[in-house]
Amino acid sequence: MKLSALLFALLPLVAAAPSIDKGKTFGNPSAPITIELFSDFQCPACRQLHMDLLPSLVRDYIVPGKAYLVYKEFPLPQHNHSREAAAYACAAARVGKYEQVADVLFQNQPTWSNDGKVFETISSALTPAEQKKVQTLAKDPSILEEVQQDVQEGQSVPINATPTMVIIRGAKKYPLPGPINYNLLRGFLDGLSK
Amino acid sequence: MARTPALRIALLLFRLGLGGIFGYAAWVKLREPWMLFAMSVDAYHVLPEWGAVAVARTLPWLELTLAVLLVSGLWKKIAMPASSLLLAVFFSLMVRSYVRGEGISCGCFGAGEAISPLTLLRDGALLAVSLVLTAAVFWKKPPVGLKTPDFQLPKIAEPQL
Repeated sequence: MKLSALLFALLPLVAAAPSIDKGKTFGNPSAPITIELFSDFQCPACRQLHMDLLPSLVRDYIVPGKAYLVYKEFPLPQHNHSREAAAYACAAARVGKYEQVADVLFQNQPTWSNDGKVFETISSALTPAEQKKVQTLAKDPSILEEVQQDVQEGQSVPINATPTMVIIRGAKKYPLPGPINYNLLRGFLDGLSK
Repeated sequence: MARTPALRIALLLFRLGLGGIFGYAAWVKLREPWMLFAMSVDAYHVLPEWGAVAVARTLPWLELTLAVLLVSGLWKKIAMPASSLLLAVFFSLMVRSYVRGEGISCGCFGAGEAISPLTLLRDGALLAVSLVLTAAVFWKKPPVGLKTPDFQLPKIAEPQL
């Protein structure tokens, strides 16, 4: 099942969230655990995490309200199209299509990473009206600032590899860089929930 | 080579420093949920999941034991080679992962620190220090009296008849 379909069930909860970037947060904002996911759309390990681990995490922790998921952009400087992709994703979040756009970006990562056709890639997840809006928004200074703000937040963690999941429980933060074994992550999250 | 007082002090400081670092590494891992360290171990992909769990539950205690032995100076002939072996394993796994571009957690001092040139430099330096200390433990000092070139057998008084 596509991650976006799974997250679609969460829309009412998301609408109730007090976050400033509603389109990039999923689940119950008052859940005991918050998971901040810093990723780069052009990074292969992020693609693997998005496609393999994230659907299970959403099914077991985000949908039941045990954890709150927050997407953060962390485009790495060595990836020439990742900042542009991050800007389009943030713009898509403003029309409520972040997850759908993230899905197509990760699924087609090898293609647009080579040819640089980022907008053409994300268009398939948007209606013509949304495409127009997203294209305009992606060049908006507030969107570019939003991406930069995520990067700065990541640098303050500090994050030096993508993907990095920052698990937050109360005042405690646990940054987990790289690919993660889901069985062990589940054990860790269950332990934190107690 | 004779051990000058300066060399002795340097070796002592190296040993105490290395012991302190092992102690800190153990403390950081033991105060956090062990599952967190298990994820770091598993990310290296050299052990099955149960192996990663076993390492996560035992390695911090081994590091703590080494810290106590290094700081106290007890069982140096066991503690020093064990420290070098452990650091050599850590360093080679980190280099392997870095070369592959895996971007995983180093797991050196708890979770969250991805392997980078800085972590490699740090662990490489620790390995070098440990190897120097190991060599110093096994370095055979020349027996007293054989050091000087003008060594002479003591004269034995001739028996008087």
